[in-house]
Amino acid sequence: MSGSPVLRPVKLKREGDQLVIDWSDGIRTAVTWQTLRQQCPCAACQEQRAKPPDPFRVLSPRELAAGAPSPVQMLPRGYYAYQIIWNDGHDTGIYTLENLRKMSQVVSSASTAKSSS
Amino acid sequence: MQPPGPGMPAKALPGVRHVLAVASGKGGVGKSTVAANLALALHKLGHSVGLMDADIYGPSVPMMMGLGTVDQRTTPFPILKYGLKLMSMGFMVDPNQAIIWRGPKVAQAVQAFLFSVDWGVLDYLVIDLPPGTGDAQLTLTQSAPLTGAVIVTTPQDISLIDARKGLRMFREVKVPVLGIIENMSHFIGDDGKRYDIFRTGGGKKLAQEAGVPLLGELPIDPRVAECSDQGEPIVSKYPDAPIAVAYLTLAQTIAHETQNRQAPEALPEVQL
Repeated sequence: MSGSPVLRPVKLKREGDQLVIDWSDGIRTAVTWQTLRQQCPCAACQEQRAKPPDPFRVLSPRELAAGAPSPVQMLPRGYYAYQIIWNDGHDTGIYTLENLRKMSQVVSSASTAKSSS
Repeated sequence: MQPPGPGMPAKALPGVRHVLAVASGKGGVGKSTVAANLALALHKLGHSVGLMDADIYGPSVPMMMGLGTVDQRTTPFPILKYGLKLMSMGFMVDPNQAIIWRGPKVAQAVQAFLFSVDWGVLDYLVIDLPPGTGDAQLTLTQSAPLTGAVIVTTPQDISLIDARKGLRMFREVKVPVLGIIENMSHFIGDDGKRYDIFRTGGGKKLAQEAGVPLLGELPIDPRVAECSDQGEPIVSKYPDAPIAVAYLTLAQTIAHETQNRQAPEALPEVQL
C-alpha cells in the first residue's frame, strides 16, 4: 500500500489559451483551457457528459456572455489538486495532479531540453 | 463565524507547527477518546496543544472535557480547558438538537474552525475527525496544512477493512500517514493475565501492509468510559494508570515522528 515518489508541479503558468505545467520529473506539459473545462471532473459535469447530447439545450445568459472558457482563479487544494473557477461561474471541479497530467500533452522533457541546449 | 472569503486569512492555522489528523474509517474505535487523551499527553510533555473536533454531526469534545454549550456572544473560541485550546460544534449547538446538514454546510463549518478560530501559536493541533471518508475529511485535506494523519483501529478484521479505506484516502490526497494506533488492544485482568478481547495483531498487520509504523497499542481500561462521561480524560484523572502511561509513550513516539518533519510543501500558485 506504500506510495511511489510524489509527482508534483513545480510551476503552472497561463500561456495564451493554454495552461503550461513544469513537473518535478522535468516534463513540461500543456493543456488548453477548453479541454480542462470540457473535462471538468465535478459530479454534475461527469453526469452531463454521460448523457446523450441535448440538441435543444439553451445556453444561459452567463454562459453566452462568458465566451471561450477562461479561468478566473485556479487555487491549490491541499497537496493533491487545484480548483478552477471559470468565467462562466462554474467552480466545483477539483482537478487532481494525476488528472492534470493525464489531460495534458507533453511539450518537452528534461532530456529533450538538454539535447536542444 | 464565517467561512474563508474576501477579507479572511488566505492560510489556515498560520501559527500552528504541526497539524495532526486523528482518523479511522470505522466509527466506534475510540477516535475521539484517543484524540483527547493524545492531545493531553502531548501537553503533559510540555507542548502547546489544541484539539479541534471536526465531527460536526456527533461532537464528543465538550462532554469529554466537562464542557457544554456556551454563549457565543460572550465566550471567545477556542475554549481553554486542562491546558488545551478546544473547538467543537458541541459548544454552539444543544446536545439534544440534531445537526441535519448536507455536505456543503459541514465543509463550511470545518473551514470556519480552521480559518476563523484564533488558535494562536501551537506546537500541535490535534484534529478529531468523524468516521468515514466524506465531506469533513475532504475539506480538511483541501484546506489544512496537515503534517500527517494517524489512523486509529481496533484489532479485529472488521475494523481493519475501514481503517484501510481511511488510509488509502490520505494516500490519495497526498497527506502523509504517520502511523497506526491500535486502540482497545488488550485487557490486563486482576489476575495479571493479558486478554485479547477483540483478537490481536490487527494494528501491526495494517501497519506492515501500509509500510508505516505501529505508533502504539492502547489497552482497555473500563475507567476510560467513566472518565469520558465525567468530563476528565483518563490521562488527566488517572495519570499513573497503565493506559495513561501508554498515551504518554504514544505522545513521545508521535513527537519523535514529527520532530524533524514539516508539513509537505504547499502546491505552487498558478500564474494566470
